[in-house]
Amino acid sequence: MRRAITRVLVVEDDAILRETLAEVLVDEGHDVRSAAHGHEALEHLDGWEPHVILLDLMMPTMDAYAFRTRQRQLGLAADAQTVVISAARNLEAAAVRLEADGWIAKPFDLEQVVGLVDRLLERAS
Amino acid sequence: MPSDPDRPSETVTGASAADPAGDEILRLLVDTVEDYAIFVLSPDGHILTWNRGAKRAKGYTSGEIIGKHFSVFYTPEERDAGRPAWLLGQAAEHGRVEDEGWRVRKDGTRFWADVVLTALRGTSGALQGFAKITRDLTERREAQEKEQRMLAEQRAREEAEEAVKLRDRFLSIASHELKTPVATLQLAAENLLRAADAGRLDEARVLTGTHRILKSTRRLTALVDELLDVSILSREQAPLVRTPTDIVAVVEEVVARFADAAGPNRIRVEAPATATVGGDPSRLDQVVTNLVDNALKYSPAEEPVDIHVVDEPGRVSITVADRGIGLDEATRARLFEAFSRGANAAHVPGLGLGLFITHQIVARHGGRIEGLAPPAGTGAVFRVWLPKDVQ
Repeated sequence: MRRAITRVLVVEDDAILRETLAEVLVDEGHDVRSAAHGHEALEHLDGWEPHVILLDLMMPTMDAYAFRTRQRQLGLAADAQTVVISAARNLEAAAVRLEADGWIAKPFDLEQVVGLVDRLLERAS
Repeated sequence: MPSDPDRPSETVTGASAADPAGDEILRLLVDTVEDYAIFVLSPDGHILTWNRGAKRAKGYTSGEIIGKHFSVFYTPEERDAGRPAWLLGQAAEHGRVEDEGWRVRKDGTRFWADVVLTALRGTSGALQGFAKITRDLTERREAQEKEQRMLAEQRAREEAEEAVKLRDRFLSIASHELKTPVATLQLAAENLLRAADAGRLDEARVLTGTHRILKSTRRLTALVDELLDVSILSREQAPLVRTPTDIVAVVEEVVARFADAAGPNRIRVEAPATATVGGDPSRLDQVVTNLVDNALKYSPAEEPVDIHVVDEPGRVSITVADRGIGLDEATRARLFEAFSRGANAAHVPGLGLGLFITHQIVARHGGRIEGLAPPAGTGAVFRVWLPKDVQ
């Protein structure tokens, strides 16, 4: 069973990817916010708790590692399911280091993202 | 009485004819030494004496060799070139001559010899012959050669490992960079299909999606172009056609091309009416394009990019300055290497080959390029010097 409103945060520096992912997730009925890097993501987390965070690895200003460190320090969105999305070759290792709940390699099928987000939401509920 | 340093001292010539016991010891010494071939030649190069070392090194017994000309020890090529006679002449003229080279044994095999040929002169100064001392250095030479071979092999191995590392780095960066626009292409197209399936495909969505697809395609094209540039440049056969080229016109053309993307007045040009260099116009266009592209890419959208063209004696300088993230020391040190993008620029799209390509083109024009850190510490400054002549 899906919750009434599920919140998803998309953190991705590539504008097209970010906007398109957000569009698809809105179509799926999620409440979506998006950020171009870690700093913007932290701003969203101030007073808004997403169920799922889709997180790019390499971003300007604040990358995924710095974001996760700061997120834990501040105790923000501690229950959110985090999915790392990247074209990096060592993605699985990166996901482990980031203590993420899943990872998706670029390029990916849309169904992959939608499906994983749904599974994580079911697991969380 | 003070001794005369130019006169041979008494001890060296001590074994004199007046001392038959000393003579015998000297003869025994020369005869017994096995590590050196020591023998005497007549003034015209015929062999007069032979010792054990000579027999050991060259294989002849004294009976076989005494009376023969010493040129039998030389290779046919050296004999034809007149080297034995030349060495005798040198020894006669300068007192001694030293030589290293291949010598031939009695059985025809060769050995690497270190030879000292000393002119023997009587008290009158008349040439009485030559002392020839030869050492077989074949083993030492082989050891040296082996060492050099091993060093060369090690160098080759290190170079190959370095090439593999560079290739891995390239594959890693290239695949990452190529996958991103591929991912956006796929996502944009799938998004359009999903919207169509759900009956949500309105005109606005079609337009946005199409623009996204076009933008990703352009990015892919730019990446592929960058790759092709490298492969073309690394093949040396693509010759430069250097003609008198107005670099100011090139700069203005590039700036006009960037005007849309950069916004009006972001790129400011200060230049004389014309400045001619000897160059390949399309390659120079690429140099200016890469520098301007970098300046725009690595600085905030609201900050200006300044281009200065200065007509100097014999050359023209082109300076491109931005107010972006700048160049730290580590970045400056590896600025023009392939895939050596700055640590502070990991997120900027591209393969990190732009400055490598730029440097290659400038170098092939006989010019120079530098990346400077301005004293204020903000932004990066790149300066290219191009020679005016077309040679």
